[in-house]
Amino acid sequence: MILNDEAIAKIKERVGLYPQSKSAILPALTIAYHQVGYLNDKVYKDIADIIKVPCVEIAEAATFYTMFPKEPVGKYLIQVCHNISCALLGADSLISYLEQKLEIKKGETTRDNLFTLVTVECLGSCATAPMMQINQDYYENLTREKVDKIIEELRAKA
Amino acid sequence: MADKQNPETGGQATVTLTIDGLTVTVPRGYTVLEAARSIGINIPTFCWHPKLKPVGACRICYVEIEKFPKLQVSCATVAMDGMVVHTNTDQVKNGRRAVLEFILLNHPLDCPTCDKGGECDLQNLTFAHGLDDSRFAFQKYRFVDDDMTTTFDDKRIGPEIILNRNRCILCYKCVRANKEAFGEYDLGAYERGNITEINAAPGRQVANPFSGNLVEICPVGALTNTDWRYKIRVWLTKTTPSICNFSSSGTNILFYKEDHKNKIYRVTSRRNDDIDDGWLADITRYSYQVITSDERLIKPLIKKEGKQVPATWEEALEVIKKRLNEIKDKKGGVCIGGLASPSLDNASLYSFAKFLRRTFNSNKLDYRQDYRMLPKDTANNYSILASQPFKIAGIDDSDVIVTFATDLLREHQNEYLRVRKAFNFKKARIFVANPYAVKTADVAELEMVYKVGTDEIFINAVCLAALEENLVACPDRADLKKKIKPSSLKDAAEQCGVAPETIKIMARALAEGKKVTFIAGELLTRCRDREIIASALCNLNRLFGLNRKGQIAVLARYANSMGAVKLGISPEPVPALKKELEKIWSGLPDTEAYNTDTMLVHMKKEEINGFIIMGANPVMLYPDREFVKESLEKLDFLVVCDLYETETTALADVVLPLAGWAEYAGDYINLEGCRQHAEQALKPRFEAYPGYEILEMIADKFEKKLFSSTEERESEIDRLLKVDTTLPWPDGFVEVKTAEIEIEKDYPLALFLCDDPHHCGHLTEKANSLVNFCGEAYIEMAEEQARAYNLNEGDSVRLESPIGKIIVPLKISEHLDNQVVLVPRNFTSHPVTSLLMRKRRIDWVRISKVAE
Ligand code: SF4
Ligand code: FES
Repeated sequence: MILNDEAIAKIKERVGLYPQSKSAILPALTIAYHQVGYLNDKVYKDIADIIKVPCVEIAEAATFYTMFPKEPVGKYLIQVCHNISCALLGADSLISYLEQKLEIKKGETTRDNLFTLVTVECLGSCATAPMMQINQDYYENLTREKVDKIIEELRAKA
Repeated sequence: MADKQNPETGGQATVTLTIDGLTVTVPRGYTVLEAARSIGINIPTFCWHPKLKPVGACRICYVEIEKFPKLQVSCATVAMDGMVVHTNTDQVKNGRRAVLEFILLNHPLDCPTCDKGGECDLQNLTFAHGLDDSRFAFQKYRFVDDDMTTTFDDKRIGPEIILNRNRCILCYKCVRANKEAFGEYDLGAYERGNITEINAAPGRQVANPFSGNLVEICPVGALTNTDWRYKIRVWLTKTTPSICNFSSSGTNILFYKEDHKNKIYRVTSRRNDDIDDGWLADITRYSYQVITSDERLIKPLIKKEGKQVPATWEEALEVIKKRLNEIKDKKGGVCIGGLASPSLDNASLYSFAKFLRRTFNSNKLDYRQDYRMLPKDTANNYSILASQPFKIAGIDDSDVIVTFATDLLREHQNEYLRVRKAFNFKKARIFVANPYAVKTADVAELEMVYKVGTDEIFINAVCLAALEENLVACPDRADLKKKIKPSSLKDAAEQCGVAPETIKIMARALAEGKKVTFIAGELLTRCRDREIIASALCNLNRLFGLNRKGQIAVLARYANSMGAVKLGISPEPVPALKKELEKIWSGLPDTEAYNTDTMLVHMKKEEINGFIIMGANPVMLYPDREFVKESLEKLDFLVVCDLYETETTALADVVLPLAGWAEYAGDYINLEGCRQHAEQALKPRFEAYPGYEILEMIADKFEKKLFSSTEERESEIDRLLKVDTTLPWPDGFVEVKTAEIEIEKDYPLALFLCDDPHHCGHLTEKANSLVNFCGEAYIEMAEEQARAYNLNEGDSVRLESPIGKIIVPLKISEHLDNQVVLVPRNFTSHPVTSLLMRKRRIDWVRISKVAE
């Protein structure tokens, strides 16, 4: 098992909350993601064993949600929205700016393992476009200056 | 289609609506699509499948419904009273066109190299409804597999399936059928948006026993079969309707062939809702390769100086005549017997019986090559049970279904799917009782694994539960208690190892069920004590009135087992049949009748000296291989007809090449008693002949023609098939004897012989595709058990019984429990029958790890 006892216990607790154990797939994936930092086939198998649902159903749900990274990512996962509202307000140039600044291409992780940059579909924050999500937090109404500041702060924190 | 009935809608049973100006009344619960099709209005579909729940994934089935603001998908819209539907307006046409344009955005349009070309729904519908050009001027999204260097995405996702994700239109039919209809989880749909893809489950192959269906139902060329790929275009083939030779349901199939090459390219379903629902088990789909394999017997063989050498038919027939006549003259015709395979067609089986009975006055013949210690005649409860009427489609609308002493997935795949269907669509309550856990239990309300060798006690316990709980109103129920032992539920439950509470639930379901289907199978048929178990079942039937409110039967196992019974290929045909035979032949031999087992015993005593085997392989399949071999070796003269050289032909003095079922036209009786016709698809290969022709040729040599004409043969068969062979139930309850179960010291595990889900009997090993699924025997056991012996998956295991041993690789089972191991009997390389003792109820074995 990749999952630790704490994660297993939490997942089991969740299963009990639903009439069908299948309903516990997303909570289980979230718990597993928080422990491991990403998801892969081995994690799906663990979850399948714990909640007694065929592994393929877990894999289907996990891959549907782009919010779960499927490979190891840096300490900060930067998800930039590139859907219509953000795109109209300059998401594309923001993405290239980030690529330049972090010296990586989208989908890659910086050498110091601090940042991973990916693009995502709409995060439901069109009113504050362009925007991005870093780990669990939203950063909105972005400009290049704002991005500089955010990255600096995170670097300092790390 | 009538499968679907929504209990919630209630009220009237039908609805009336208007479609394209026509008024139509359909059962409530029908979709608009089904209503339209019922009056011949065709609406295109991709994702809809008659045997699956609708999903509305593809949107091609758009229709306009008045008062609905937008186009609706007809496959997922339930028809309602007063609806006014239009299926061909400009709006609908535009909708369809738009859907097709979307579906084609990333489609590779590689029709010239795609095997689906010519029978592709996307090709056809685009031609009928699509635009002739695309407005999508950008780079298409392409899947390229990791180890592919070209733009083709040919990925082997199973032993016989290749996936091309670029062609996939995401109708999800494959994934839905796999999960919903087959209960298999080796295929899934991953990711989202335009990178959504179908693929095998993590770390698995799509290798379930129904996997071939996924290819057949794929509307495009995304899934293709390895046997058909790049071999031929569909319009160059001709089809021949036929019947599966490896299932007792008689699944309806089509052979795709090319006449001038005398070659079959593939098999697809010929949907028959009464029998197969259009699903084929992989055995059915790929077993044609048994016929097309090049290892077939080419010429007759004659044994000369201890060696079999090729000969002409004339030489072979002369030898047969000479040697059988010698035996007949010296010892009398009754010293000649025969064994025929229950997979042969009616004409061959009937000719076989007529030849032996008429030419040699012998009643020593049988069709059962793999069941130990059979009853000779039919005056027994087992035969009564086996003769009961049964309808496959009757499973669909049963509200309570019990499977007892059978592993449907290995024995009756068709019925396995039906049971699942009854659960999916009708929420039928399923109960599974077997001495080891089986996959049918996936859909079961209760799975009852009773102790090995307590089959009859378990059934008694169910009866006792009904008595003690007062669940039934059978008048002479008090009588039952005297006929069974132990006589209390508590004791019986304890003996069979199932909790009394559980048994009560099942008893209650049997009592309350409105329509009950009770299926028993191979475990009962193969068991030495079948008569005792059958007696218990007769009581169960009487107590709960099962045959009156449903059906109870032991399912026949082979393609024409029923034909063999109905045409009298057994030592003692049922009385009604005997009468008819007497009339047709003006008299029947009154010599002693022997079944397979007694024949073998008498061979050994040199009281049977000549023997004819047609299509059967008792050396491989009959319990105690050494015994069978020794018996057959004692014969003065043995003729064996088969498609291949087998363990049994190796002992023969004359071997004759037999034609396979696709090589002649023939009739087969399925387990329901339904007579079905298989047309001839190929000319017999090499020098093979169909069974009935071989027998006619031999009979000619004896100057005793079997039939003056084919018409005569067919009319005799027709007469016999009209005879009702159902045997009456016993009056009153019957006594259930106590079986004596031998315990073998130092042999703690019970061995059950089975068929691999991709094999059946002794021939399927010749079909390459089936071998790709499973090519060698294995010993299947519970994980816990394996751990106790310090064994891992794939380890070599020595399996020993008091009389023999074999070495097989280990397969850990997700289902099995301790104390039981399974070994398939389909592989020449692992002669598992050499471990079985002839007279045992349970085959006790022990295992050990083979040192590296
Ligand atoms: S592979 Fe075929 S059946 Fe499966 S979703 Fe794609 S198009 Fe449909
Ligand atoms: S057939 Fe109706 S949505 Fe696909």
